[in-house]
Amino acid sequence: MIEARSLTKRYGSKVALDDVSFTVRPGVVTGFLGPNGAGKSTTMRMIVGLDRPTSGSVTVNGRPYADHRAPLREVGVLLDAKAVHSGRSAHDHLLAMAATHGIGKARVREVIALTGLESVAKKRVGGFSLGMGQRLGIAAALLGDPATLIFDEPVNGLDPEGVVWVRTLARHLASEGRTVFLSSHLMSEMAQTADHLIVLGRGRVLADAPVSSVIAQASGDGVRVRSPHLAQLSDLLRSRTEVVVTTTEDGALDLRGVTAAQVGEAAAAQGIVLHELTPMVRSLEEAYMTLTQDSVEYHAGGTAPAAPAGGAPAAADAASATTSGATR
Amino acid sequence: MTTTTTPRPTTHAHTAGSGVSFGHVLRSEWIKLRSLRSTAWCFAVIAVLLIGFAALGAALSSVFAGGASTPEQQQSIAVTIITFGSPFAQLVAAVLGALVITGEYGTGMVRSTFTAVPRRTAALVAKVVLIGGSTFVVSLVAIAIALLVATPLLAGQDVDVDLADGRLWVSVVGAAAAVAFTAMISFGLGAIIRNGAAGIAAAIGVVFVLPIIFTIAQGLIAKGWIYTLNEFTPPQAATRLYDYPLDGTSMLTMPGVDGSLVLEPWQALLVLVGWVVVLFAIALALVKRRDV
Repeated sequence: MIEARSLTKRYGSKVALDDVSFTVRPGVVTGFLGPNGAGKSTTMRMIVGLDRPTSGSVTVNGRPYADHRAPLREVGVLLDAKAVHSGRSAHDHLLAMAATHGIGKARVREVIALTGLESVAKKRVGGFSLGMGQRLGIAAALLGDPATLIFDEPVNGLDPEGVVWVRTLARHLASEGRTVFLSSHLMSEMAQTADHLIVLGRGRVLADAPVSSVIAQASGDGVRVRSPHLAQLSDLLRSRTEVVVTTTEDGALDLRGVTAAQVGEAAAAQGIVLHELTPMVRSLEEAYMTLTQDSVEYHAGGTAPAAPAGGAPAAADAASATTSGATR
Repeated sequence: MTTTTTPRPTTHAHTAGSGVSFGHVLRSEWIKLRSLRSTAWCFAVIAVLLIGFAALGAALSSVFAGGASTPEQQQSIAVTIITFGSPFAQLVAAVLGALVITGEYGTGMVRSTFTAVPRRTAALVAKVVLIGGSTFVVSLVAIAIALLVATPLLAGQDVDVDLADGRLWVSVVGAAAAVAFTAMISFGLGAIIRNGAAGIAAAIGVVFVLPIIFTIAQGLIAKGWIYTLNEFTPPQAATRLYDYPLDGTSMLTMPGVDGSLVLEPWQALLVLVGWVVVLFAIALALVKRRDV
């Protein structure tokens, strides 16, 4: 169980994380999705106390990470970059990590076998491929047999076989009742591995919902509509709770959760002129990009206050996207 | 929600046991120190320099000992020759001390270290204790060998070493301690600076450049206070640990001027402990605050 409350991180005037709150629950794989630079790694480093939040707090299994007497037995973490001295062998690295907690050599051999590193364990890490580095990071994370696992971009640099292995491992660990928190910038990867998704964009939580509803919400086939009376039209559509409204750059409305026929009928009933009414089919990746773009503005019928088209405060995005996921 | 407890996976039993303790962290840091080639190389070079310079000095001692007629003069020359390699070994120790910590920052290892030891203090204390302790042991063994090698060579040049002289042993231990203190001071600088090249440069600057600056300053100013100030710099204090002055005149340092202070070995020890403690305290405060 990981509980983040109002995590905020500023570097000078740049805001890397802005009031991020979420809960990662045991027994399921939770994906942490967002484009590069969204703040995923910063959040993960904060969970294990490597970075300090400017404000807010995060606990693991009910306590701040550093307050645990045996943190490696609570949380295993694979960080994004290689966090290993390149001059040391994989075996010695794991032995040194294990020694801090009095974990014995037998467990070191176990995690080496578990991650398939037997043949390279005595070699210096500097010569490792990215994939072997990831396996070593996962081996280190598993050392303390922790109840919570945090993997930052675990499939980076892995070959297809390795990707499947990580996916299987993550699902297996979750099935044992552990908390599994994986980050990725690839929606397709998360769609195959995670049960629950937390989507981060520009330091804010854009969605926090089961993976199926995020996908459905984000990738549901949509309708593009142009009209000289957009404001009136969006007010009309906002009364339908299931509709997600997005304004495109060129001033059209992208609608999800509604068919072209329904939009046409609703517009006709109110006498609103339409200049375009185009049904659209989105790919998963397009949907994700839509979700993480700045253009995500508001959601019709959510708890977020109604925002004027074209100038919505971004804080409302997060709330509305979250709500839209949850209401499905 | 806040009081929710997480069900623990059933597979926990076989690794259950103790958590982070200073003993465990010390053991971990020892594994880390001895599993890097750079450590072995630095220690080997330190030993070679300490033994090699003593042997070389002893073989050529007739050059230095030309006018050394009294036993006191001979003893002073012998001790100077036996500890001759210490400043050179200190240079290598400065590099090693900085590398121990900057290598972790440079490679990202420090994130693993502080994930395992999130309070950070134990890891940093273990590192400084181990780098100081292991450098001291290696240097002491090397100087003991240097003494064994140099004594017969010196005797062959008609310089007799008096092993019953307590000051000889103070210098032998002092020369090894000087190398160890340099490593620990350099560790503190490395932890403050983090960058490998900059950390090593700073450490070399303290060990090698600072004495040169003071030599020049003493030549220009020639006042008592600048000599006294120099006594409190790490390299000068390190020299005072093994210096064997004869009638108040040292062969290793510039002759002082009237009224300038010359540290006794025990005073020099306190000065060096002070440097280590102050630099370590600054490093610890910074390391605990910083994101890694």
